[in-house]
Amino acid sequence: MKPQLILLIAFGGAFLTYIFGKISSKLRDGAAVAISLALVAIFACLYGRPLQESFYWGFLGLNLSLRLDALSWFFAIAIVSLGALSIIFSLRYMRDRERTDFYYSMMLMVNAAMLGIVLSNDLISFYIFWEMMSWCTFLLISYNQHRALDAGMKYIIMSMIGSVAMLAGILSLYVSFDTLLIPQIASSLATASPGYVLFVLVIFGIAFGIKNAIMPLHTWLPDSYAEAPSPFTAVLSGMLTRMGVYGLLLITYVIGGMIGGTGLGSNVSKFNYVLAWLGALTIVVPTFIAMLQNDAKQLLAWHGIGQGGYMVLGIGFGVATANSLALAGGIFHTLNHAIYIVLLFMSVAAVQYRTGGVRDLNSLGGLVARMPVAFVGALLGISGLIGLPLTNGFVSKWMIYKALIIEGHPFLAFAALIGTWGTILSVYKFLHNMYLGQLPEKYKHLEKSPFSMQLPIAVLSSAVVLFGILPGIPLRVINKICTWLGFSSLDVTIWGFTSETGTLNTINLLAAIVVVSAVVWVLFHRAAKSVVVAQDDNYAAGAYVPRDKYHYTAGFYEPLFTMLRPYLRDVVDEFYTALAGAVRKSCGAVRRIYTGDVGNYVTYIILFLASLILVQLRWRPW
Amino acid sequence: MVGRILQFILYPLVALAIGVFFLGLARKITARIQWRYGPPLVQPVIDMIRLFYQKSVSHGPVFAVGLIMSLAGSIVVVLFLPFGSICPLSGSGGLLVVLYVMLLAPMGIALSGGQGANPNISIGISRKLILALGYEVPFLLVLLTVMTHYNTISIVQVVEAQRDIGWSIASLPLFLSGVSYLLILPAMLGFRPFDVSTAPQEISSGPLVEYGGKYLLMATIEHALLLFIDIALFVNLFLGGAGNPIIFFVKMLIVFVLVLFIHAAFPRLRIEQAIRYLWKWPTALALAGLIIVTIGRS
Repeated sequence: MKPQLILLIAFGGAFLTYIFGKISSKLRDGAAVAISLALVAIFACLYGRPLQESFYWGFLGLNLSLRLDALSWFFAIAIVSLGALSIIFSLRYMRDRERTDFYYSMMLMVNAAMLGIVLSNDLISFYIFWEMMSWCTFLLISYNQHRALDAGMKYIIMSMIGSVAMLAGILSLYVSFDTLLIPQIASSLATASPGYVLFVLVIFGIAFGIKNAIMPLHTWLPDSYAEAPSPFTAVLSGMLTRMGVYGLLLITYVIGGMIGGTGLGSNVSKFNYVLAWLGALTIVVPTFIAMLQNDAKQLLAWHGIGQGGYMVLGIGFGVATANSLALAGGIFHTLNHAIYIVLLFMSVAAVQYRTGGVRDLNSLGGLVARMPVAFVGALLGISGLIGLPLTNGFVSKWMIYKALIIEGHPFLAFAALIGTWGTILSVYKFLHNMYLGQLPEKYKHLEKSPFSMQLPIAVLSSAVVLFGILPGIPLRVINKICTWLGFSSLDVTIWGFTSETGTLNTINLLAAIVVVSAVVWVLFHRAAKSVVVAQDDNYAAGAYVPRDKYHYTAGFYEPLFTMLRPYLRDVVDEFYTALAGAVRKSCGAVRRIYTGDVGNYVTYIILFLASLILVQLRWRPW
Repeated sequence: MVGRILQFILYPLVALAIGVFFLGLARKITARIQWRYGPPLVQPVIDMIRLFYQKSVSHGPVFAVGLIMSLAGSIVVVLFLPFGSICPLSGSGGLLVVLYVMLLAPMGIALSGGQGANPNISIGISRKLILALGYEVPFLLVLLTVMTHYNTISIVQVVEAQRDIGWSIASLPLFLSGVSYLLILPAMLGFRPFDVSTAPQEISSGPLVEYGGKYLLMATIEHALLLFIDIALFVNLFLGGAGNPIIFFVKMLIVFVLVLFIHAAFPRLRIEQAIRYLWKWPTALALAGLIIVTIGRS
């Protein structure tokens, strides 16, 4: 199958869905699900079958072409799978809302554009699809109007800065090498001057750094995640933001020949060291800011930034020291993060759907009794996010930590580890305040989440566990990507790794945990029976406790906050906001010149001429 | 093969026995320091047997699942720690896995406690997690120092390396880390002056307040294992482990009695005082150790 045919299906599907929506909403929903599932099937069939470059169009004398290799397949399958699950999730979530035709076609369009990005073999196609993705994202973020419009505006302005940087980079590459095909650029860049290589790295680094929300380019992300419709937030957090990671890997491919080398390679290493440290910074700061959030989606959004730091750290460090364990860890973390963050956003969305859009952590609670599937999803999601053993997040983090320690960079490892401990605090609050503790009176009769929401949650939950127990499945593909990028191959087994300085064996871990849990469980059941009582029976000892009067989870980490709050301002965001304010003010001042009175304009001209004459008479410069 | 299986079965039991012995010893020694007679050494055992047969109240499935997860996590950590020459799970991920499996215990208790809507539990868990963040900063620095110094993530290899070159705590950079570990040990074990999360007189034992019968039994076992884990880790990393279990036990006993002296003599800190302390001296020492090791390596 040719790549252009896949793209045709993806884009055509988006348009068709819109047209079907005008006929009947059932037809539209069916078409959207069918198209997204068809794309999953296509990519599943293409496993291990790379498609070579195929030229589909000439444009201004440039050949536009597409390809499918290990890297694009890896990203493509993640994009289409998560896209399909989000579409299924949307079925109930978006029902009875306005402009759903537009919503579905945009969802499919974003997916198609992302597919276009990973299938592109030249930078013009890459840029075109990148812009399509950014604009569709803008429209979807602003879907809810009101505050969402501001969030969308913030996103598109940051995104445009990135695009302009990328465009400048592309033009410069074209002028220098007279080609925009990625493999040809890779071979030409090997002979370029070190300074030029650094320029290319920095300018594309800015473009991809903004998309991947690396600090200090992260400010668009929290508002956008929080204000976008939740099923789209899932797509946005899962894969769309990670197009930045794809971009970084593409850079890695292009500079492949220079990795680990001396002389020429040193600039590459320096750049990637900086990237790794930025990644470490991106892990620590947002994780602590996340603790301060009381909005479920904002909290997850800050973790989205923080987890992006692990990917950048892994990839940056891997490239800087030619360490394939760190690189593979970074790539694997991209997939793992996508799985559990989508799961978490879906679990929030399920609660939002039933409670009428409530996502304030201080007013929820006790929902485990009403929505058990969403609870299990949230539990496994946070386990993955923390990286508890036997969940997928553990394996990728383990790989990054181990590479950092063995290569002798304990401070980077410390940043990564302490990020995990900060994560525990905020995600426990997330889980506890939503699902555990007291159930407020008004949610006593909440219904379970509908099947079309439970299904994606169940699929993703099992993926979290599956990749945690059998990390070898995705790691084989990732290993191929690493060798394709010019790195040494890893000793991957289905259960983990074998190597001299420390092995990872998930089967031992699984066996130990399962057996021990079984023993404890048996003991537990041999002991005297227990009676289930109402939550406040013990505590109040029969006395009356006023319902809903006290909420024990509000202000959960108050002692810590009072200590940390002064240090945890989003200084960067404040700087950008101040910059925007200053620009607006100075533009306002400039605007005052234009009074609309012709007399004034004539005065300006006369004053200007007079000053010219004065200058000429006094200093005679001309 | 049979020997290996026996190790798997007996080792957690030995660990539990040591932990329970420590629980009894803690009450006895604290009492003697405070001029009281104190309960007999076997009191925790008597209590545990009683709890096993006692009826209890529950708040639903999560209440039990969290505790089971917590206890299972603790037992699995035990299997990773060398005890003399015994180490059932030596080659399955090393210290990094231990670090993460150790999370299961507090997470499980927090999960289970969260299900009982009691303000004392909420306060207790909140304090426990904040305190954990407090001592994890120096703790992680200490572990990273050890891993960087010996260039391995395997505890067994750290122990072996010390056999040749002497105890870690006797060498300069690791001395700082060892002291730092000792300073945070009471906080890790939940002893005074850091017993904020289970303060009995203040918040009725915090997360434990709703537990009775088998629930309290499991929480007690979990605490006993925690004593074993944190002290055994210290002995392995800094006191050179041991060739046989008896010497290992003696080393553990000495460290534990040291902690008890502090426990018996100091009053409780407030949570923000505790954090301020933990992020000051232990962190500074651990950081200094890590910097020296990193500079020495490169």
